[in-house]
Amino acid sequence: MNIIETKKLTKYYGKDRGIVDVDLSVEEGEVFGFVGPNGAGKSTTIRTLLSLIYPTSGSATIFGKDVIEHGPEIKQNIGYLPADVHYYDSMKVKSLLNYSASFYDKDCTKRMEQLVKIMDLDVNRKISDLSLGNKKKVGIVQGLLHEPKLIILDEPTSGLDPLMQQNFFNLIEEENQKGATIFFSSHILGEVQKLCDRVAIIKDGKIIKVEKVADLMRNSYTKFRIETKTDLKQEDFNGESINNFVSKKGTTTFLFKGDINVIISKVSELDLISLRIVEPDLEEIFMHYYRDEDADA
Amino acid sequence: MKFYTNLYLQELTAHKKGLIGWSIGMILMVAGGMSKYQGYKQAGESVNDFMAGMPEGVLAVFGGGQLDLTQAVWFYALIFLYLLIMGAIHSAMLGAELIAKEERDNTCEFLYVNPISRTDIITAKLLAGVTNLVVLNLVTLVSSLLIVEAFNDGDSVTNQIFLMMIGLFFVQIIFLSIGMASAAVVKKPKLVSPIATGFMLSTFFLSMYIKIKGDYEWLQYFTPFHYFDGETIVKDNALNPTFIVLSIGIIIFMFSFTYFVFNKRDLNT
Repeated sequence: MNIIETKKLTKYYGKDRGIVDVDLSVEEGEVFGFVGPNGAGKSTTIRTLLSLIYPTSGSATIFGKDVIEHGPEIKQNIGYLPADVHYYDSMKVKSLLNYSASFYDKDCTKRMEQLVKIMDLDVNRKISDLSLGNKKKVGIVQGLLHEPKLIILDEPTSGLDPLMQQNFFNLIEEENQKGATIFFSSHILGEVQKLCDRVAIIKDGKIIKVEKVADLMRNSYTKFRIETKTDLKQEDFNGESINNFVSKKGTTTFLFKGDINVIISKVSELDLISLRIVEPDLEEIFMHYYRDEDADA
Repeated sequence: MKFYTNLYLQELTAHKKGLIGWSIGMILMVAGGMSKYQGYKQAGESVNDFMAGMPEGVLAVFGGGQLDLTQAVWFYALIFLYLLIMGAIHSAMLGAELIAKEERDNTCEFLYVNPISRTDIITAKLLAGVTNLVVLNLVTLVSSLLIVEAFNDGDSVTNQIFLMMIGLFFVQIIFLSIGMASAAVVKKPKLVSPIATGFMLSTFFLSMYIKIKGDYEWLQYFTPFHYFDGETIVKDNALNPTFIVLSIGIIIFMFSFTYFVFNKRDLNT
């Protein structure tokens, strides 16, 4: 059974496009990345899954149950960390966490205390006195205190310092090892690359690719970094499958997909100063999907 | 359907300060209003003579000229109009606030992600709202009984004050339901409270208009202020059953409308 499954999920805000025909299936126990530029429809998808908003057409199930019909029931086992965390300003952290815990059928006290310790959170402060990063920490504790089977993260690291990010990633990995499924939405590919098993790429409201991170990284692309006396042109590698070609001040970088022997023989004809062949990061691999957005910006 | 004590108590806490403020306001209004009565009583019949000489339009606003302002209960009936207005403003704003604040303050990504249905959220909020109204009504009742009796040297007026407080409670619930219904239907959370109170004020001015003009009887059904007019209650020593039935109808309709519409619409996140 898939933990999340959407079928032709579509959401229009009046005439404005939210998402169009989104088909997703997230398997039990996986860390699923959901990647796309801002405004691509990531948050719309998540809000539809949480039935904060309703789809224009199509359907979504979580734990095999319709998200609208069985909303409250499935939310017993969902933990959600929104991009911007907002709570009741006049409450203390402690009472907010207890309040949150009181909605669940089980006793969350123990896990809550553990999480407070891990995130190094001062629970006696008022919400209104917290910095953005500290609010985010409250959000993490609040989202995980009921040990959910599905954790939905929407841009989770914004506002967290690098040390806390690491704590947070460790925590997420731990939860995953305990069996939780993670749905991780982000526009920062580096963090998705670090954590995820599979990624879906969303652009202009449509899913354009779903692939295993390992496959993307290992089999598909190689990154070349070549230093020569004069700049090169993409035509120099005519006929080869080359992406993200940049040549500046004698340094040329590009992504290559195909028979490695062919490209090596072409490179060997050049008058090289240096050559490095490295594993590209996801950011570079996905760059060409985003090129339209870059042109707009 | 399930009752969520945690959410109910949270809402009570959130509105505690406001309720205390409104309660003090009500007590001050009763005390301040009745303190003026002392002067009228001493002036005796000349007040009624003076009132009789006023233009009809002005008179209408002050109770249609039939009020014997030298009697405590009639004077209280005059003040009661202001208690109605205060009660109506409080409940319209409360009803709007209960629902709209989660979207205005962006807390709906917290509250509505909890394992609780929207129906149960509305129910807990509605009951917290009604609790606030009951408290404000009881504060008004007790302060009215104590203060009016302190000035009264005629027959007991307890019964009439009780009737007026029941009237006040109907007006409170009506505007609570209108406030909540506005929050369900208006998508911009910041506009909800102005719309609800604006609507409430327009029904108040309509009731004033009817009083001054003295005709357009069919219009009276459109303004809850007319249903529970203090002067009429004192005169009849009873509430008008037609208006009670009408009030209950409005309340049931508005609350059902709130549940129905709010369950169907997208939340502003």
